Amino acid sequence: MRDSRGEKLFYIFNYVLLALISLSCILPLLNVVALSLSGADAVVSGRVTLWPVDFSFSSFKSLFTGTPIMRSFWNSLQITLIGTGLSMLVTIMAAYPLSRRQFYSRRFFTMAMVFTMIFNGGLIPTYLVVQNLGLVNSYGALWLPGLVSTYNMLLMRSAFEQLPGEVDEAAKIDGCGEVGILMRIVLPLSKPMLATLALFYGVGYWNSFMSVMIYINDTAKYNMTVLVQNMIKSTSVIQDFADPTMMASMTPEGIRSAAVIVMIVPILAVYPLLQKYFVKGVMLGSIKG
Amino acid sequence: MFVPVLLFYLIFRYAPIGGLVIAFKDYNFYDGILNSPWVGFHYFDVLFQDARTLEIIRNTLVLSLLSLLVGFPIPIILAIMLNEVRNMAFKRTVQTIVYMPHFLSWVIIAMLVSTAFAMENGMVNRIVEGITGQAYPFMYEKMSWVAIFIGSGVWKDMGFNAIIYLAALAGINPSLYEAAGMDGASKMRQIWHITLPGIRPTIILLMILSMGRVMEVGFDQVFMLQNSNVNQIADVISTYIYRIGLQGAQFSLTTAMGLFESLVAFILVFSANYIARKFGEGLW
Repeated sequence: MRDSRGEKLFYIFNYVLLALISLSCILPLLNVVALSLSGADAVVSGRVTLWPVDFSFSSFKSLFTGTPIMRSFWNSLQITLIGTGLSMLVTIMAAYPLSRRQFYSRRFFTMAMVFTMIFNGGLIPTYLVVQNLGLVNSYGALWLPGLVSTYNMLLMRSAFEQLPGEVDEAAKIDGCGEVGILMRIVLPLSKPMLATLALFYGVGYWNSFMSVMIYINDTAKYNMTVLVQNMIKSTSVIQDFADPTMMASMTPEGIRSAAVIVMIVPILAVYPLLQKYFVKGVMLGSIKG
Repeated sequence: MFVPVLLFYLIFRYAPIGGLVIAFKDYNFYDGILNSPWVGFHYFDVLFQDARTLEIIRNTLVLSLLSLLVGFPIPIILAIMLNEVRNMAFKRTVQTIVYMPHFLSWVIIAMLVSTAFAMENGMVNRIVEGITGQAYPFMYEKMSWVAIFIGSGVWKDMGFNAIIYLAALAGINPSLYEAAGMDGASKMRQIWHITLPGIRPTIILLMILSMGRVMEVGFDQVFMLQNSNVNQIADVISTYIYRIGLQGAQFSLTTAMGLFESLVAFILVFSANYIARKFGEGLW
């Protein structure tokens, strides 16, 4: 079928607008990359746009030697990996029974969990609970209160429910227990959903900010989000750590940009690998509601 | 297997709901939650008689309603636009790029925003300077700050929120478009009469869900973008609870504020669902 003139115009307009939207998502990042790789003079005089000027790694050098970024990087990694593992484990432990028809009163439990999505105690009562459990200033305060996201749990439950029932009946006849069915049949068949939720939990832990700020008092335990935020709020955080001989060759903007790059790189590394899964995962959950 | 799950929900979801009683008590550390003296609605009176807290409630409503008003239709439009792209490589590239900001933390986005809109050497202000000859303090003027606040939220999540609509769009029968095309319906007419009705249930579903979030403006977003020049418009319930509650140790007062916030959100979800049910599209 040939396009009419109006349709052609529509398509051209559509492509141009989409290209502009994509550019708006990329240009700010390119700008930051360029700032982080430019020389101090070029950054201060504002000559950097999308391409590094006076190419140099000095911002990264000052960042790594002059600030505790590496320590906070390892903290972030630890928070993320352990947190994601724990969250996935307990989410599976919640979603699997709720997806089984034999499970008595699963409707009641589902409703009780969904209720907490629309009504919750809020910040202060949650803080008091965490405080009374003695979790303040430990990573337990980051992992435990957010262990299960009810929304993620519902997504996983509907993924489990959509698996054909005959397969696990066959497994049962072959002498497979509930745990065997979960480990050998349900989980391998739900890989897109598992990858999606691991990404969601992982990004959540990696970017966690408010919980770290509230529960962690020891600056040595800060993750990158909080450290970088502190660096942005006050330059003195950088100056406290920096070697005075290096001050001449660095700018706060350059170091902040370098820090932002260090924070983004791990996300960009896993994002393309998981993209096809999360699109599938989100769609799966959305249609079933 | 289910026991840890139950424990989690009881300790970290239901115990805090029980902890809401401190909104009606004069909480102090020595007496604890159970033994602190009752004060009834005292703290609610305090909240609703203070001009500052009323201003904070107003700010929360203004910022979130504006975000909803602007941010809700944009993912729908984006999904429809993406759905009309026939070059698959282009479509995939655009999708990969527009989904990405969703995964960046607000620290990073605030940094990108302040770099782009900086008075000196900001990319935006260099263009503005080129045209008007003068840089504009975008982050420090109330109106432009609100625009940047809304815009950054839309920028972060428009692509990601479009995924669900794209899924719904994939379910529309293509023969409807062919028939409409035969009858001479223009592209715009086809979108209006086929595409939009086709994704109506999804739109309503997401509308109900977003009503529940009207009372909460994300803490991170406000906290990172805030500055003292715009505090009058930028201080919201979540930052108030953090500052006065946690830092100022006014637990009872801010729990009352939190309870008010939760109740309004609860009522909004139920009314949205009630209205949706009148149109036969309710969530439950």
